[in-house]
Amino acid sequence: MNDWNLAATLLLAVGAGAAVWGVSTGPLRRRVVAQNLSTSAVCPSLLLLAQGYDRPSYVDLALLLALLGPVGTLVFARLLSDELTDDPPRARGLTWAAAGLGAVTVVVLCAAVGPSRAMVKLLVIGALLIGGNVVASRALSGGFRGVRGG
Amino acid sequence: MDRRTALVATGELLAWWTGLALLWLVLISTVDPLECAVGAGVAAVGALAARAARRAVTWR
Repeated sequence: MNDWNLAATLLLAVGAGAAVWGVSTGPLRRRVVAQNLSTSAVCPSLLLLAQGYDRPSYVDLALLLALLGPVGTLVFARLLSDELTDDPPRARGLTWAAAGLGAVTVVVLCAAVGPSRAMVKLLVIGALLIGGNVVASRALSGGFRGVRGG
Repeated sequence: MDRRTALVATGELLAWWTGLALLWLVLISTVDPLECAVGAGVAAVGALAARAARRAVTWR
């Protein structure tokens, strides 16, 4: 086991473990936040595993997750909008902490792979991950309720 | 559609195509002529879809 795999395992155990615990217990406002942030824990760990096992194809899984995770959260935000209006979740600190975790992971991996197409791909995934989670988090806390025709 | 709107539409499609083709080029694992040809084709389809979606949202 190398350092990349160790970091990925720690991230999966702590991040994904906390997300599963958050999703399965507590009030709705906490469950939706944990569901949203599970992407932020699993996606960077997939990137780390890709580097650790030297399998670039694992990066595609992270790309897919970074795309589909926030979309799933937006579906929940839409379907649960009545309940969430009464008791809106507030997770500004957690959202930005997760964004920071994604940014740090991507930057470290970029430094490891060096300037290449793989680095641009990592940056694209990082932008999708962070942007998607910030948008989805804002949608959960009711930030887009005034969107025209939305 | 007069000359000016046709020019604007072509420019928008070309901008979408360039962005999507570059994205394809970044995301594939090996760059060879077949991949580039397929990428150019799907980027063209994607550009048409992107412009249609943009017009549906902004209604112009």
